[in-house]
Amino acid sequence: MKVKLEIEPGRQEPEIIILAGAESAELDRLVQELSGLALDPIPVWRGDQTRRLPQGDFLRFFADGKGVSAQTAEEVYAVRLRLYELEERLDPRRFVRISNSEIVNLEMVTALDLSLTGTIRMTLNGTVTVYVSRRYVKKIKETLNLGRRERT
Amino acid sequence: MKKLSGWSGRALLCFLLGASLTPLAVGLLSTMMLPAEAQALGSLWAGSLHVVTPAMAEAFGSAGLAALVQSLLGGLFGAVVAVSTLPFADGGRELVVRSLAHFCATALSFSALLWVCRWLDDPRFIPLWVALLALLYALIWLGRWVGWYVEVMQLRTLLGLDPGPTPLKWRETLPYLPFVLLVCDLLPLVFRWVDRTFVVDVPVLSGLILPYLLLPVAGFCSGVSLGKRQGVCPLYPLACFVCYMPMVWLLFNGSALFHCFMVAIPALMGNVLGWLYRRAVPKKGNV
Repeated sequence: MKVKLEIEPGRQEPEIIILAGAESAELDRLVQELSGLALDPIPVWRGDQTRRLPQGDFLRFFADGKGVSAQTAEEVYAVRLRLYELEERLDPRRFVRISNSEIVNLEMVTALDLSLTGTIRMTLNGTVTVYVSRRYVKKIKETLNLGRRERT
Repeated sequence: MKKLSGWSGRALLCFLLGASLTPLAVGLLSTMMLPAEAQALGSLWAGSLHVVTPAMAEAFGSAGLAALVQSLLGGLFGAVVAVSTLPFADGGRELVVRSLAHFCATALSFSALLWVCRWLDDPRFIPLWVALLALLYALIWLGRWVGWYVEVMQLRTLLGLDPGPTPLKWRETLPYLPFVLLVCDLLPLVFRWVDRTFVVDVPVLSGLILPYLLLPVAGFCSGVSLGKRQGVCPLYPLACFVCYMPMVWLLFNGSALFHCFMVAIPALMGNVLGWLYRRAVPKKGNV
């Protein structure tokens, strides 16, 4: 595969075009990977300072009464977006809503347990515990099936 | 709101169903099961169909009023049954509280049907029926839980995690089944045969040594071993109980039913103790 870089002075945003003779699974995977990279980073706030973090860094986004917060492995930040707005911007193969007040990064899930009373407990990155509403289980399965289909 | 109206609609429909089916059921049962003098007095809606028990008609003074009350109670029971899946919509504390509330409502309406409609001669039997209802509830709960557990296993697999133990650890319990069959089925048969060869009448081995020593010790030790390896396996004590049950009737009689408990209870205790040991002293691979 040839990789070619062309610099166009004045261009606002980089654009990737793949030229191929026919469709293939490898090509689809490449498109998926590049699309994932092209997803917008999420602007987060800590006091008056703002940062733009790549989507893969986040463990979860959750409503905490005052607004929406985002948690990474190290920090918790404020996010000035609503959960439904985040849902539109986040990678749909990686992020899924698990309850009315929470969106998680499925790639960070390290354990999943069921209590006797039917509560599903999800552990993210081995440290953060969140609870899955059973109303969202079907959607999580759909998201995971979608991700798996696209990977294979 | 839409969901609530859906539930209300279902409850109303089942209320009507319950109200109309109860007299029919009473009519059918009373003609089939009750002795002739105890058969229903009223035949309100159809010439040959009895709709209330004579005791109820007598208590209310008229068969019409009795039939009305019975239909209302039947409708109430139907409405309560209609919303029986509502508690399972949530999880955690809400699920427990709603399930308990629903069980109380069901037990109350069921008891009212049994007693107010005089379906039972003696109110002392009502707790027995409520206990059967509780058992049914426990079975439904277990069925639901297994369904959720299978769902969680699917999610684990999709997430690339270890799918975890099987529901109620049935597969993890299986390797202990040959031992249970040996202790609870083969050993009693052999002991009984040996006892018959003795000159003395007392079955020392099958009547004394087995139930008072071997069954408890074997149940306890195997329970500890399973608990240490796999944690709590609720099916294991049950398997011990069920496997010994045929021996009670084959070798002894109903009075030997306690033998089943002599193996099942130590198995449960041993299993819990093994699990506690496993938690206190985690091995490599257990954590």
